[in-house]
Amino acid sequence: MSFLILYKYYFWISCVIILLNMSACKNKAEPPVHQPTAYELTIPFGFPTILNIPDDNPFTVEGIRLGRYLFYDGRLSGRTHPDSLMSCSSCHIQANNFEAGIDHPVFAGGFVHGLNGQQTHHVVLPLVNLVWNRSGYGWNGFLYPQNDKPDYRNLEDFVRLAVIAEDEMAGDTTRVKELFQEIEGYPELFFNAFGSNTITFLNIQRAIAQFIRTFVSANSRFDSFLRGELQLTQSELNGYVLFTTEEGADCFHCHGGGGNPLFTTHLFYNNGKDTLFSDPFDRFAVTGDPMHKGAYKAPTLRNVALSGPYMHDGRFATLDDVINYYSHDVKLSPQIDPLMHHVLKGGVQLTPQEKADLKAFILSLQDNEFLNNPEFSHPGKMPDE
Amino acid sequence: MIIRHILPAAVLILLIMGGCKNQGDHSSNGGHIVMQLKHTIDNQDIDFDELIYTNQAGNQYMVTEIQWFLSDLTLHRSKGESIKITGNSGCFYVDTDLQGSLIIAPAEIIPAGTYTGISFTFGINEQKNISGLFVNPPESFMFWPEYLGGGYHYMKLNGKWINPEGQTEPFNFHLGIGQEYAEDTGKAAVQQFGESRQYDHCEGYQPPQKLNTVAGFIQNYFSVEFNDLNFTITDGSTQSFELEMKVDNWFKSPHVYDHNQWGGSIMQQQEAMQQGCENGRNVFVIRPLQ
Repeated sequence: MSFLILYKYYFWISCVIILLNMSACKNKAEPPVHQPTAYELTIPFGFPTILNIPDDNPFTVEGIRLGRYLFYDGRLSGRTHPDSLMSCSSCHIQANNFEAGIDHPVFAGGFVHGLNGQQTHHVVLPLVNLVWNRSGYGWNGFLYPQNDKPDYRNLEDFVRLAVIAEDEMAGDTTRVKELFQEIEGYPELFFNAFGSNTITFLNIQRAIAQFIRTFVSANSRFDSFLRGELQLTQSELNGYVLFTTEEGADCFHCHGGGGNPLFTTHLFYNNGKDTLFSDPFDRFAVTGDPMHKGAYKAPTLRNVALSGPYMHDGRFATLDDVINYYSHDVKLSPQIDPLMHHVLKGGVQLTPQEKADLKAFILSLQDNEFLNNPEFSHPGKMPDE
Repeated sequence: MIIRHILPAAVLILLIMGGCKNQGDHSSNGGHIVMQLKHTIDNQDIDFDELIYTNQAGNQYMVTEIQWFLSDLTLHRSKGESIKITGNSGCFYVDTDLQGSLIIAPAEIIPAGTYTGISFTFGINEQKNISGLFVNPPESFMFWPEYLGGGYHYMKLNGKWINPEGQTEPFNFHLGIGQEYAEDTGKAAVQQFGESRQYDHCEGYQPPQKLNTVAGFIQNYFSVEFNDLNFTITDGSTQSFELEMKVDNWFKSPHVYDHNQWGGSIMQQQEAMQQGCENGRNVFVIRPLQ
């Protein structure tokens, strides 16, 4: 009986099967709707091979391209009035090692403030080689991968915090994403990068973080020296040996050297600047360990001559001030890091000639190719121009 | 009938049997070892950053962190046969601040059988201890400056002690390649520091007034041997050990190491590093765990 029914409707069943097959074939023939191009970072000589790239935000050519526009677009503040524009590049200037710089035309002495005039808690850190930072972002490392708070873990989160912080853009993420949704050209860029014309703030964060992670500085005179391409001057060589010896300037345990060409450990140290600690944003604020009071990140020394003012609070204006401090003015406290073992002499006691040699070496870490790399510069025209 | 029912069933049975056989093959190669690292002072787990310990010289001290390399881990059998762990460059980084580093679990399969001993190198031997061996942190942060011999620290043991003036003074008990200095030995300055281009700057280098001229290098790493063990590795088993570093012994015997004598930094004091490394022969204890 059932066989007879099937036979009766044979024609119609066949038609349905054919249509289904045709539909399936049509789907197979369609090109992928969203196919971003994977971007592979070239690892410089001697640099770490393990990168800090979140699984949910891999490098893509399209993501980096979008991030570059957003990094330089003052409308990231969520506003369009010329007096209310602020972008990442307002404080992170390429020519100044992606810091504000002591000669900043708006932020006197390199002390930055937000759109409402409120000064930031700490001075700006450089955006250099951050793709290798796996130990926490910010002077106290409050953004770190193992953080229990899932939105306080990585560079992406720093973008969001910069937009909403009262001492920075004092913005609103909803307003920002809605504003960019209306700007001609951006929805298409977001589609190319993330597969959707609908702009989300998460994708804004992701794109900017991707762009920042491409900021690689690895072609200073010192890098050429490590690659065997040139010899440093006698003064630079003297400075290098001082830099990397305990009885010299003793910089290397925290600030690297030939074996750690990042010139930072990205770790946190109390380097003896003070004896009393009241900053609510030191490392202690993150770990709760009283021994971490007054401890801050050791920043990279790449391009450091352009990174003033120095220390978390910008207390030193020049590199000479910093060298003098480590030579003669280090202070003992219960919290001082054991690596500061010269503290009872006040520091490493460099002579004027040794200071000059040390400075000469540190200046050899300046990477002019990085500071002028057109791939990191303002894109020229914004998507709607 | 045969094709539709018996053949698929036979294939299925063969696949299952094959799977079982593979598992059996895997375990028949042997087992594994795991070492759990422990750092003690006066036989107790260390209270870090607590100024509560007194060493043999009478220095009151505390320890902040210990970072060190264990390498050339080798298992020995009765007839002189030995199995060396070669994975991970044969080097294992241990850091009291990194819980994951306190368990050494080599991936290598250890042949089944009875073993009589374990040995390892404290630090890294001169064949491997070359600048550039590690590019990734935290191992790369252990680099030993080229001018002082290059390669990597064997150990960073950081802390503080109370000096005769009653001040809490930092110390860096850092062990690695030592130096001979021209001023002390009358030897000529080192002209050939090493194969790595990173040494280039040292050749013919004229030290500024604070530094002496390096005339030679001294390898301070040493072998730690436990020859009185008796344990068996069976197929698919894991034999665990507890490896204890008795930190107080670094300062105890045969040399009474006095922080007041050597001060806060010893990377350029070969005599201090030599005393430390000679004391190091009495630092480690190993116990098989069930």
